[in-house]
Amino acid sequence: MREILSIHVGQCGNQIADRYWRLILREHGLTESGVPKEGSTAAANNANMEVFFHKIRDGKYVPRAVLIDLEPGVIARIESGEMANLFDESCIVRKIPGAANNWARGYNVEGERVIDQIMNVIDSAVEKTKSLQGFLITHSIGGGSGSGLGSLILERLRAAYPKKKIFCFSVAPSPLISDSAVEPYNAVLTLQRIRDNADACVMLDNEALFRIAKSRLARSPNYMDLNHIVALIMSSVTASLRFPGKLNTDLGEFVTNLVPFPGNHFLTASFAPMRSPGAENQVRTNFPDLARETFAQDNFTAAIDWQNGVYLSACSLFRGDIKAKEVEENMAAIRKQLNFASYVPTGIKIGTADTAPEGFASSGLALVNHTGIAAVFERLVAQFDIMFDNHAYTHWYEGAGVSRDKMAEARDVVADLAKSYRDAS
Amino acid sequence: MDATLEKQISAASRSVEEARRMAYHDAARVGDLVEQISVLADLRQKEGDFRKAESLYREALFRVQDLRKPDPELMAGIFSLMAYLYDRWGRLDHASTFYEKALKLSEEHGFQDADKAATIKNNLAMIFKSLRQTQKAEQYYHEALDAFQNLYGEQHPKVASVYNNLGVLYYASLDVERAQDMHERALGIRQQLSAADIDPGDLSQTYINLGAVYKALGDFQRAEECVDRARKLRAGLNGYQPMPRRSAALLLDRSA
Repeated sequence: MREILSIHVGQCGNQIADRYWRLILREHGLTESGVPKEGSTAAANNANMEVFFHKIRDGKYVPRAVLIDLEPGVIARIESGEMANLFDESCIVRKIPGAANNWARGYNVEGERVIDQIMNVIDSAVEKTKSLQGFLITHSIGGGSGSGLGSLILERLRAAYPKKKIFCFSVAPSPLISDSAVEPYNAVLTLQRIRDNADACVMLDNEALFRIAKSRLARSPNYMDLNHIVALIMSSVTASLRFPGKLNTDLGEFVTNLVPFPGNHFLTASFAPMRSPGAENQVRTNFPDLARETFAQDNFTAAIDWQNGVYLSACSLFRGDIKAKEVEENMAAIRKQLNFASYVPTGIKIGTADTAPEGFASSGLALVNHTGIAAVFERLVAQFDIMFDNHAYTHWYEGAGVSRDKMAEARDVVADLAKSYRDAS
Repeated sequence: MDATLEKQISAASRSVEEARRMAYHDAARVGDLVEQISVLADLRQKEGDFRKAESLYREALFRVQDLRKPDPELMAGIFSLMAYLYDRWGRLDHASTFYEKALKLSEEHGFQDADKAATIKNNLAMIFKSLRQTQKAEQYYHEALDAFQNLYGEQHPKVASVYNNLGVLYYASLDVERAQDMHERALGIRQQLSAADIDPGDLSQTYINLGAVYKALGDFQRAEECVDRARKLRAGLNGYQPMPRRSAALLLDRSA
């Protein structure tokens, strides 16, 4: 069995977890407390249940998930909600003080006191697996807990499990809407760790998610809608591991196909057809439309500079009632439309899975490595520079053990990352 | 890996998980968690995974510190367990720091269990000896000696152990006369012990140490006598060979 352990860090990471596990439960025919729904045979017929769930004695499935936060709010909400009895309480780590939006507090001060407990919990979750495939991490890189503590977890995870795949879903600060003044600092410091320790990172930004949600929904979207999109993407990435299919794709295959150069593993994703929760089955798309929507540029989750850049690689995964012949015909056409780098002559990596997400007849996922992602890094570095050159807010970081030299080092790493993407075009 | 050890570890980690669940709901149950954690960490050390053991102890430590009123005795216990781990791991500077932390706590709060404090002092001295800080080592040995003498009187295996340790220290710093004095005192106690307390391994070690002292003093006849006695004792051990350098340490219950 190729199990996957999900690690959710910080407020944003756990809000995603909330939507994500609801979706996964529905896909696997389980109730909110992890027991198979009456009359549903999805769990019984699926030999791959163990990938995401750990079956315990009374027939209940417990998610392989670790929930971590430095403030109790979001986790408490999950625990008092419908999924109150779902998660294993020994896999929930929460501390009271909070990281106060400061990367350095999450990484050094508070992180130092809680990282061992986290690693012990992860170790014991890993020991329950037979052959772990890797980790999924959800966090935001602009806040304090998800970014600072998330970075520390990444470093320790890589040291403890050098050969396992680490797949990050990282919510990056948006270009226009900002949650806090120090976001660029937190993001740059975290990106350095993601570059050094993760195998792949799907960049998500709330503004892009908001735009996608707004264009598909009849009303103004809320955070739940945004996280639902993230959940759909995450569920599709792992779908062919969890359900039997003709063209199975595992995390390792994604990484091999998507990362042409070491360090250039920052991806963006798209999910189609995008519908509001509950209204999925109202529209039944044909395959050419589905494929086109999957690769539509305004459907991707990060603010990519599509004009000045090329595709380095692309993966797509189609779920549900899909015919192989249709896939081949349409993907060849799409491949021609995409502007690939001159040294990437081959096509798009394609996978399929038989089971569509709950409520969908079929769905498509694209994971893309595009050099235009440099724009995201360049923008963060520019914002970083303005504050850093004026010594704004840096005392908070120095006070928590992160010197200006360390910050400058992270800035240079991210600037180099942007440059390496630009050079690859 | 050893199959029994593997079973023990998986049982222990289940207990830790259960204790984590309890502690999650009720912070007062952290004491149980610490106990389970120390069991698991001990097994981890047997397995040779010092990193995981360290991580477990640190979890225990911070969980206890996060309580509104951390129990100093529990903290001192964790500190000395960590020091013991670092000692075995070969990270002596860490070991001495943590023993000193444990000691400081025990002095500040005046623990009931004076044996524990004395044991810590003895172990700390051994680490300073390895770090070649002879003066500090000597001082802590003497403090440990005083404490054990106050607790148990002169005729006690723990007192003999400290005498033995002091003897080894003096011998290493070329102070052979004082080394002789210490080893003779250790021998005096170890010979007088009741049959239940007597440890032939330790006794033979004392003979060997004493033999080395006599040899250094030029008294080869007595040196040979001592070595002979040690050899006879060892022959009676049925192949059980205590590690000479650590035998004194094994006598003390360092996990306290």
